[in-house]
Amino acid sequence: MKTPALKVDDLSVWFEKSGVRVPVVDHISFTINAGDATGLVGESGCGKTMTAMAILGLLPASGFGVSCAGIEINGRDISRLNASRRRAILGRDIAIIFQQPATALDPVFTIGQQVGAVYRRHFGGGKKQVRQTMLETLESVGFKQADDIAAAYPHQLSGGMRQLAMIAMATVCKPAIIIADEPTTALDGSTRTLILHQLKHLQALHRAAVLFISHDLGVVRQICRNVMVMYCGRIMESTDCESLFSHARHPYSAGLLSCIPRISAGRPEPVSAIPGQVPSAGDLPAGCHFAPRCTRAEARCHDSVPEPDDQTGGGAACFRPL
Amino acid sequence: MTRDTWQRLKSDRFGMGGLIVVSVFALIALGVWSGLLGQDWSEVSGQHFEGASAEHWFGTNLIGQDILQRTLFGTATAFEVGLLVTVCSTLLGTVLGGLAGWYSHGWLDEIILWLKGVLDSIPFYLFAAAVAFALQGSPWAMHLAMIVTFWTTTARIIRGEVMRIKEREFIEAARAIGLPGIKTIFRHVLPNTYHILLVQGTIVFVAAINTEVILSFLGLGIQDGVSWGLMLAESSQEVLGGHFGNFIAAGSSLFLLMMGFNLLADALQDALDTRGLLG
Repeated sequence: MKTPALKVDDLSVWFEKSGVRVPVVDHISFTINAGDATGLVGESGCGKTMTAMAILGLLPASGFGVSCAGIEINGRDISRLNASRRRAILGRDIAIIFQQPATALDPVFTIGQQVGAVYRRHFGGGKKQVRQTMLETLESVGFKQADDIAAAYPHQLSGGMRQLAMIAMATVCKPAIIIADEPTTALDGSTRTLILHQLKHLQALHRAAVLFISHDLGVVRQICRNVMVMYCGRIMESTDCESLFSHARHPYSAGLLSCIPRISAGRPEPVSAIPGQVPSAGDLPAGCHFAPRCTRAEARCHDSVPEPDDQTGGGAACFRPL
Repeated sequence: MTRDTWQRLKSDRFGMGGLIVVSVFALIALGVWSGLLGQDWSEVSGQHFEGASAEHWFGTNLIGQDILQRTLFGTATAFEVGLLVTVCSTLLGTVLGGLAGWYSHGWLDEIILWLKGVLDSIPFYLFAAAVAFALQGSPWAMHLAMIVTFWTTTARIIRGEVMRIKEREFIEAARAIGLPGIKTIFRHVLPNTYHILLVQGTIVFVAAINTEVILSFLGLGIQDGVSWGLMLAESSQEVLGGHFGNFIAAGSSLFLLMMGFNLLADALQDALDTRGLLG
């Protein structure tokens, strides 16, 4: 079996609140192959972004605890690297695209300066060469007038163009792994389609592994081959996109899917919602965290934690899958 | 400074007035430094206390020196003090304030805040006198006293601003491309404070020139050369005898330059306020 581009093994994140460990990410493991995109979906606050930050090692040092058995990029463990070696990887081997391009770009520098700076930081090179690479990258993300864009300040661009610029910053070093943290959430519908199209194109071009974080299953379906459904810091179901949409096995995944409104010719069906509320991180129920809201829960669901039922670590973590 | 900023500044009539006044004085200062103006400031060229005439526009002083020449030379003195103090104290304040803000509530922050607290609690004129005494009348004692104390205000403002900026997402983005903390301060945090530094710089400039006048008046200021402060010190005796030359020349110059700078600082503040541009 070939080495996956990204392998996350038994990752946990927690913070301490008045002496009590509050888990945010709870023993999750997954792999993504080169050229694949995997979606990480779940409601707000379920630990998606925390997972991304923990992989990058960018969680604030104070307040958060991280433990893991290993985070490997192309077989090389990066979880034990010291700060300066880790910095050498960030942006070069693993890059992140943020949700809010308006605030993730520095307002006092031009797009060209910012994209060029990422490349120069990792590969050095003369002024001419950096500029050449920068312009090529801007063109590769879909800018026609790369020269004009390079000279523009972030506030002179529209939201979609800023996100493209962010993508250019993330891809200028052609990283093996791109983490996209809700890259289209802040954008309107048609811009979203454009961004997704470019992302997909670049992924195919560089054969990058993409971890696509979103709360929008529809978007995930457009771009990802595999999908992981996260709830309260745990992965509830991990499978390929098509099986999830045709036959979701975990009751939570099924609940999420039924929340997507369907447009049909006949009388609209009422959109169903999952009963109850997401428990807060400090007050998680024992056993399966979803059990109190689950219509199929039985006694053991409230006591013990179900393991994923697939041998490879995928499948549904449920005692009574659909 | 972007083109938008310049456009906004241009449409501010008071600000442009201020800029013109400051530019005229700056040109005079340049003229003095390049040896074109005010070179005869120490020459005795007339009788004592002559009135205004075509030869001596502002008259002459007690020993017959031309007051216009002395006023022109005083402009250069004011700019020399202002520029030196502004550049040095702003640099010091930016670096120390930036470090304190970046490592806020850490030990470095504590030390810088403690230093700032100590310096702020010493009465300034007493401090200036002490520095002058300690340096045995060195001509740079006054500059040093100002630099060492003026950075604290800049540092306080920059510290607060840095604490605000470091929570912004583009700082996280800088970390995500592997930029070390100390480089992030200088590459992404401090450049985002330039609008504050520009305004604070003009304020320090005004304060430095003002303080020079007071210190020279007290005899702690300019040692060789002439300044508006020294002229005003002379005039305090002269006005009693009805000789207003020094007083009018130095006083109105000081007033005009201060006014110009304050108007410019005000307009700059408005023109550079880009909050809301990027949300």
